[in-house]
Amino acid sequence: MAYHRITITVNGSDEVVDVPSNMTLLQMLREKLSLTGTKNGCAAGECGACTVLMNGEPVNSCMVLAVECDGASVVTVEGLSHDSQLDPVQEQLIEAGGVQCGFCTPGILISSRALLNRNPKPSEDEIREALVGNLCRCTGYIRIVEGVKKAAEVGSRAA
Amino acid sequence: MPSTSTLGEKTKGVIGVDMPRVDCHEKVTGSAIYTDDIQFGNQLLHARIKRSPHAHALIKKIDTSKAEALPGVKVVVTGADFPKRIGLYLKDKYIFARDRVRFIGEAVAGVAAVSEEIADKAVDLIEVEYEPLDPVFDAEFGASPEAPLIHPDLADYEVPNFIFPVPGTNIANHFKIRKGDVDAVWDQCAAIVEYKFRVPHVQHVPIEPHVAVAKMDETGKITLWASSQSPFAQRNLIAKSLGISESDIRVIAPYVGGGFGCKAGVTMEAMPVAIAMKAQGRPVKLRLTREEEFYTNFVRQGLIAKIKVGCDKDGKLLALQNTMYWDGGASTEYGVNITRAGGYSGTGPYDVPNVKVDSMCIYTNHPIGGAYRGFGMSEVHTGIVQCMDMLAEKIGMDPVAFHKLNCVEGGDIIATGMKMHSVGLRECIDKVAKSIDWGNKGKPSAPNKKRGQGVAIMWKAPAMPPNAGSSAWVELNEDGTVTVGIGGQEIGQGSFTVMAQIAADSLGVPFEWVRIAGPVDTQYSPYEWQTVASRLTWSMGNAVRGAALDARKQIIDMVAQAWNENPEDLDIKDGTVISYKSEESISLKDIVVYGIPKPGFEGWVGGPIVGRGNFMPTYVTGLDKETGQGQRAVVHYTTGAQAIEIEIDTDTGKIDIVKAASAFDVGKAINPSLVKAQIEGGFVQGMSSAIFEEMKLVEGVMQNPNFVDYRIATAVDVPRSIDAIIVETAQDDGPYGARGIGEHPMVPTIAALANAIYNAIGVRVTNPPLSAEKIYLAMLDAGIVK
Amino acid sequence: MINPHPGLPEFEYIKPTSLREASQFLAQHADEARPFSGGTDCFVRMRDGVLKQKYLVDIKGLDGTDGISFDPKTGLTVGAAVNMNRVAAHPEVAKHYPVLVEAARSVASYQLRTRATIVGNICNASPAGDTIGASMVLDGKLHVFNAAGEREEPLSTFFKGPGKTTLQPGDIVTAVMYPLPPQGHKARFIKLGRNKVSDLSIVAVTVLGYPDSNAKSGFCFRIVLSSVAPTPLVAASAEAILADKAISEATIVEAAQAAMDSCKPIDDVRSSARYRQYMVRNLTRQAVTDVWSQLQ
Repeated sequence: MAYHRITITVNGSDEVVDVPSNMTLLQMLREKLSLTGTKNGCAAGECGACTVLMNGEPVNSCMVLAVECDGASVVTVEGLSHDSQLDPVQEQLIEAGGVQCGFCTPGILISSRALLNRNPKPSEDEIREALVGNLCRCTGYIRIVEGVKKAAEVGSRAA
Repeated sequence: MPSTSTLGEKTKGVIGVDMPRVDCHEKVTGSAIYTDDIQFGNQLLHARIKRSPHAHALIKKIDTSKAEALPGVKVVVTGADFPKRIGLYLKDKYIFARDRVRFIGEAVAGVAAVSEEIADKAVDLIEVEYEPLDPVFDAEFGASPEAPLIHPDLADYEVPNFIFPVPGTNIANHFKIRKGDVDAVWDQCAAIVEYKFRVPHVQHVPIEPHVAVAKMDETGKITLWASSQSPFAQRNLIAKSLGISESDIRVIAPYVGGGFGCKAGVTMEAMPVAIAMKAQGRPVKLRLTREEEFYTNFVRQGLIAKIKVGCDKDGKLLALQNTMYWDGGASTEYGVNITRAGGYSGTGPYDVPNVKVDSMCIYTNHPIGGAYRGFGMSEVHTGIVQCMDMLAEKIGMDPVAFHKLNCVEGGDIIATGMKMHSVGLRECIDKVAKSIDWGNKGKPSAPNKKRGQGVAIMWKAPAMPPNAGSSAWVELNEDGTVTVGIGGQEIGQGSFTVMAQIAADSLGVPFEWVRIAGPVDTQYSPYEWQTVASRLTWSMGNAVRGAALDARKQIIDMVAQAWNENPEDLDIKDGTVISYKSEESISLKDIVVYGIPKPGFEGWVGGPIVGRGNFMPTYVTGLDKETGQGQRAVVHYTTGAQAIEIEIDTDTGKIDIVKAASAFDVGKAINPSLVKAQIEGGFVQGMSSAIFEEMKLVEGVMQNPNFVDYRIATAVDVPRSIDAIIVETAQDDGPYGARGIGEHPMVPTIAALANAIYNAIGVRVTNPPLSAEKIYLAMLDAGIVK
Repeated sequence: MINPHPGLPEFEYIKPTSLREASQFLAQHADEARPFSGGTDCFVRMRDGVLKQKYLVDIKGLDGTDGISFDPKTGLTVGAAVNMNRVAAHPEVAKHYPVLVEAARSVASYQLRTRATIVGNICNASPAGDTIGASMVLDGKLHVFNAAGEREEPLSTFFKGPGKTTLQPGDIVTAVMYPLPPQGHKARFIKLGRNKVSDLSIVAVTVLGYPDSNAKSGFCFRIVLSSVAPTPLVAASAEAILADKAISEATIVEAAQAAMDSCKPIDDVRSSARYRQYMVRNLTRQAVTDVWSQLQ
């Protein structure tokens, strides 16, 4: 199987990576770049734990081939905070108590950040719909939604 | 030298306070390490498992030669390599199947290769010849003499003395209660309800699938990294099965991405260990796919419960009979104790003078049953509490009044003969009823909607061996901070935070000074039985409190000696030792490691401070095999109540939860916010299992082993808010009076919803999942809709 | 026993530089190559082992297929590479084709829709394809490129069975085109899943109605049912009732019953056939009632 050399910007840093055709963006992030904050929960585009921003839009990174990302810009959970300053969605998720086991958290944060980027003042229904592709088994979602609401109130520092 | 006195400044309390989670910063930045995140470098081998396509068959021949010949394959193992059985309570399972397979998905062989892809290909090259046997797919049939035997060797299996297998049958445990005489009182009952319930198999669905990595070094010592609720139990069980000593296995357990019981005991973790023993020192990783997570791991057992319950004309319960057939699956190594728990709590939280319970764990050719959040209890309460709702209606009582009349209270002699400790269950009922304005349903939001209210109550005791123990150490650092060693896991419930609170308060240091020594590592961490049964706050909390008090005593004795004061006059507040007598004070910094110089350089007192603590309940007694009677069956019960108001769309059968209230008597909420988080999360997990979830098993094949067709609640499905209510009736042997709450909140939800559905539409939909389809078709068949 | 690969199995990723090159490659490797755009369906089926392709041909954005345009004279063209979120967020689509927005937004999750496309949804030809009903009531046509020649395929004759269409090896759908909707039209998409949103449909109903002087009732309705037949199903008998009889609550009930009688759904893991049938009736009644109340 042929390898493809791609150039990709991840969390602001340019990377050159050789990837096989069947490698997903998720596998590349975790295995080639050791960015393990992005989680593998189903490998089928259903659970949302692997959600990252690709060219500013959220995608399930298990449903994107790494080779398709040549020239793309990707932001993972590791890229949400800047200079030790947490993103408001990170701060408010903590504040609201929306973190338990933490495995869905990276995906929840990315989906929430993407929502606030496209819609800085979402309604509660809009928040819930934006998170429908991020399964959480611990929290019952209520505190997560609360955190995103608060983050919207605090205002955005876009990723 | 003693610094200026800080007397008079009040230390801010940390018990009963919403302290922030100690793990949340790591978890929101992606830096928290889970097992799959650990880097092992290029030597890492990847394992895949050859699985049985048969529900029940004899293995005639396994040919691994083609797999072994595939370039990149380093190890191939089969059951022939590992002859000893494994199991938590009943040792009835092999790491890899040997002579026979008993469920679809059972591990038959394992491969390790340089990539997951090659291992996957190699698995396809393994050829297995089977001779199919008649399967058992129904627990009630499985208990009958006609059923084919799934474990003909049951008589030979190692089993603890509180589990009662019936050799020559598929009954792996038969737990009985005989209290009073039910048959003598049915005639005296003014109302009787008799009903048969079925609760389907469901899955835990942690977002992190099971993953484990194992490595054996040149000296034969093994290290296992696993997403685990039970590092110590895994060490013990795997060592026994592989014929090695416990201390030659080291289990390192990083953060767990959701457990809910499925990462307790040993499921898949033994396989990478077994493979690693033949991998020449290379680490071996086994990571289950989501699909394997669904049907090859522990499941929540299915249950068939036949319940008969009767009361007098005033609604007071007279008799209860509960016959339970648990679908234990291909192995019941953990399930036998689930059915025991289902048995001794088989009356539900009701005071009943005459009780007959038969709780039978039946081998079937379904996936293996294991612990799931409050094991046995959601299933038992589904039937019992609905029966109480039916009985209340039959006798003409309001369900809330009925529950308050009959619920268990302090001093009652419960079904096992144990005297009940004081509980706030009645207060829980009152509070949830008030919260949803019981009896005053809101107006439906549209003409095609119907509203209903339902209430349910619950109890649950930690289900564990009588002597499950905890231990802890508390070590002080030069900067005055405190490192707490524990062997219980952080699986999302907040145990690390609560332990930090207990240590901070017990020792007298600021909460921010406490560090939890993680990840749990059996080489350094103190022993903990398992992170299960909602037992950590209570049991490990006692150990941590003991260790912190021990450290505190060492510090105070040291300072008392240095200052020539009486220890009773000294205290530690906010990280400073103070004397109420001399009004001297000294910071913990430095002295807790280097000690204190005596005046005039006449030597030193003290030394590095390390406190130790442990806890083990010593008072749990056995129960008689035939009657289930004994002094004290369990350590305690946590009780609670739930009330729900729903709206049903009569065009589709869809349920909307309009109001939800959930109250639990937790003894003492050490961190009320975390307690409420458990109450909310548990409610939603309960609601999800009630409405959506079912492993659809057809001839032993799971039809929906993925998120496409095994649906769980999403952010859009859950109620806007849940009124999470804390009731506090102190637990006599709990730290600060605390008892567990992790599992309980999901237990009453199926029954509460089912009762609300009946209240809304006037027809009972009793067996979960209480899906829109079932509700609609029930309305159709009853003529409520056309 | 469903036992998918842990990751995607081996295949060769092909990125042609033009539609012509893509089409030729696909025609030459008819049994071993497959085009993909978002890949949301293709990757899942590759991982499941259902598809065993040697080549996956990335056709995204070739020769301008990533455009979306609205012409007030001819209508809407949605390129094959345009993801569902772009369609749903497009102001002209929201204004003139709101039912398409409603349908697109019902698919899975936002992050999946960043990749999923309407053309892909149509070409996969699932009876449950959420945007197919809207595309059919809006009279959509596919623009098909083939190195041997280009053509248009009306959706009304496109579907041949679950996963089966009239497409031949080398065919690449480059866009779906929607004419201007009928004057004064109103439309509604109602999807019933197990969860409130995001699920595959148990049943979905798409209804479009507009004033039509040729119809006895004065109104014409188009009704498409999803997940109740091997292909998306036009409820012709229900449409006929609504065209022929004066529209009233009773007529709508009769049409809904006709829709129910016209489908023969199956039992599957998501629902029983019986529940599906009743839901076809109830949701058709709801959707037609909604549309009718807006038309009046």
